[in-house]
Amino acid sequence: MIVEIDKNLCTGCRECAEVCPAYAIVGEQGQPQTIDESRCVRCGQCVQKCKSYVSVLTHGKDAYERVKKERHIPDCVQEPLFAAHAVCNVDKVKAALADKEKFTIVQCAPAVRVAIAEEFGEELGSLTPGKLSAALHALGFDRVYDTNFPADVTIMEEGTELVKRITEGGVLPMFTSCCPAWVKFLENNYPELKDHLSSAKSPQQIGGAIFKTYGAQLEGKTGADIYSVSVMPCTCKEFECSRPEMKDSGYQDVDVAITTRDLAWLIRDMGIDWNSLEEMDFDQPLGLYTGAGTIFGVTGGVMEAAIRTGYELVTGQPIPDVEVTAVRGTEGFRTSTLKVGDLNLKVGVVTGLKNVIPVLEAVKNGTLDLHFIEVMTCPEGCVSGGGQPKMLMDTDQAEAYAARREAIFAHDRELPYRKSHENPAIKKIYEEFLEEPNSHIAHHLLHTTYCIK
Amino acid sequence: MKKELGCFVVGDSTKCTGCRACELACFTVHNRESNHVGKTVGTVSVPVAPRLFLTKFEEGCMPIQCKHCEDAPCLNACTKGAISRIDHQVIVDAEKCIGCKDCMQACPFGAIALLPYAKDGKLVAQPMGEETKVFASKCDLCAGIEGGPACVRVCPHQALRLVDPEAEREEKNIKAAEALLLTKNWR
Repeated sequence: MIVEIDKNLCTGCRECAEVCPAYAIVGEQGQPQTIDESRCVRCGQCVQKCKSYVSVLTHGKDAYERVKKERHIPDCVQEPLFAAHAVCNVDKVKAALADKEKFTIVQCAPAVRVAIAEEFGEELGSLTPGKLSAALHALGFDRVYDTNFPADVTIMEEGTELVKRITEGGVLPMFTSCCPAWVKFLENNYPELKDHLSSAKSPQQIGGAIFKTYGAQLEGKTGADIYSVSVMPCTCKEFECSRPEMKDSGYQDVDVAITTRDLAWLIRDMGIDWNSLEEMDFDQPLGLYTGAGTIFGVTGGVMEAAIRTGYELVTGQPIPDVEVTAVRGTEGFRTSTLKVGDLNLKVGVVTGLKNVIPVLEAVKNGTLDLHFIEVMTCPEGCVSGGGQPKMLMDTDQAEAYAARREAIFAHDRELPYRKSHENPAIKKIYEEFLEEPNSHIAHHLLHTTYCIK
Repeated sequence: MKKELGCFVVGDSTKCTGCRACELACFTVHNRESNHVGKTVGTVSVPVAPRLFLTKFEEGCMPIQCKHCEDAPCLNACTKGAISRIDHQVIVDAEKCIGCKDCMQACPFGAIALLPYAKDGKLVAQPMGEETKVFASKCDLCAGIEGGPACVRVCPHQALRLVDPEAEREEKNIKAAEALLLTKNWR
């Protein structure tokens, strides 16, 4: 499975069970734990929590190298390895990069650029999009694109879908579908509410579907020539990209997802010195992104990005303040009402999957009067994802989340475009390829139906 | 009043879950400067060498660490002058330690382990061989580290505490005196 607990290393402390939002960790106190695959949502919060490391004293002198080999972790890695861990797909990426027949395209999620530098000793929450792009170029990817661009596409598609549901009487409230662990949780526990999920795919999957179609066309290639890699703050993204429904390009849309931590290993393994990298831009046109795309990395960000665009689509007027602070914050469930023309748009934001249960119960009972709800599994959204750099001491976690979050907002403020619909590359792809939001081709490539178990 | 007895950290097996957060925090704070260990796991390039040791036994688990004995057997046993008492604490100088294990043998609590020695982010080889140098790893009560003992700070269940034995004795004296006063009133 993507997330596992090594029974030879687990002390049975059950600290992971405390953070698991899906009650998927099973075992007696003091005994090695196992993960119930049918309940697990692959969020990786157990991976972030676990401190039960491979110890010279407890497990012997050779245990470390043995565990490293078992997990296919690059040789250069010398950091502590823990009982709870995520699958490492670095070797798959290395093989693709070495294969000259393959045209490799990489995308990286917004939360990666505010965290990866931590693994190289920089301050918590260092904002390094230029170095990240430079590192991916140095690794030899043929195109270094960005998940923030398909995040802008998500806004066009999901925003349009919301407006249609509101004006044409569709199923409400509509839930965001960007977070694959949340989608899996709903499928496992509340399948009767599946029609509340937006049909728009997540940015990773929209990126994947676009790169193997439009992206391939731009290179004079076909989808069969492309090997698509994503770098995510998330352990569940590998689960998402291997879902059977994620093949609308005619191929598996994203071939492999690695985590922020995996990328740091890969960078070291390929002998790239992070500290001496010269900043580079992401490649064009599918790496051009807005502030709206970048705030997907924090809780409330998808909602804020959707409002920035939705307001202007509905009213035809510029939004009075591009920063929709009413939906920001870190509380587990927060709601607000926003005036959008004649409509009082009622929205909710859930962060930390445990907080969604009362919300889902209220939706089931018909007692929750909202139009649109964003749900993210991890404590403060993707900045706190299961694939992000892990703190050696949990007492540093709050500082790390706050610093990464601040870096995301700082990046939003410095970008020339801050609304998805104003992104010139978005305008271009709709003119040349996607026609209009929710068009036939957009539906075919960028939307899906969940709940295939 | 001048403090006469050294402090120490003690665990509580009724609270400890065995998560090893204390061991990892101990290693982290002791290797910030010497081995460039930052705040994230990825900044570590050397084996985890803690100075307290999670111990599992039939009834539960808890970390075991140095009591900073007043007549310290480890200090008495060390023939290389690698162990000394500084500000009431029994401290090992890893550079001087030859890994002879005399202190390990002498410690009645098993509070010293021989662990790989690293400097500047790399394991240090023995002067005359290829094997890694080892050192006597034991609690120094986070001497010189801001915030005091890291194990106490990170424990999610407050299963570790810093004991000031003289202050605790005085406190108990006061409680005993108050109890006696009540007895007298009753009589």
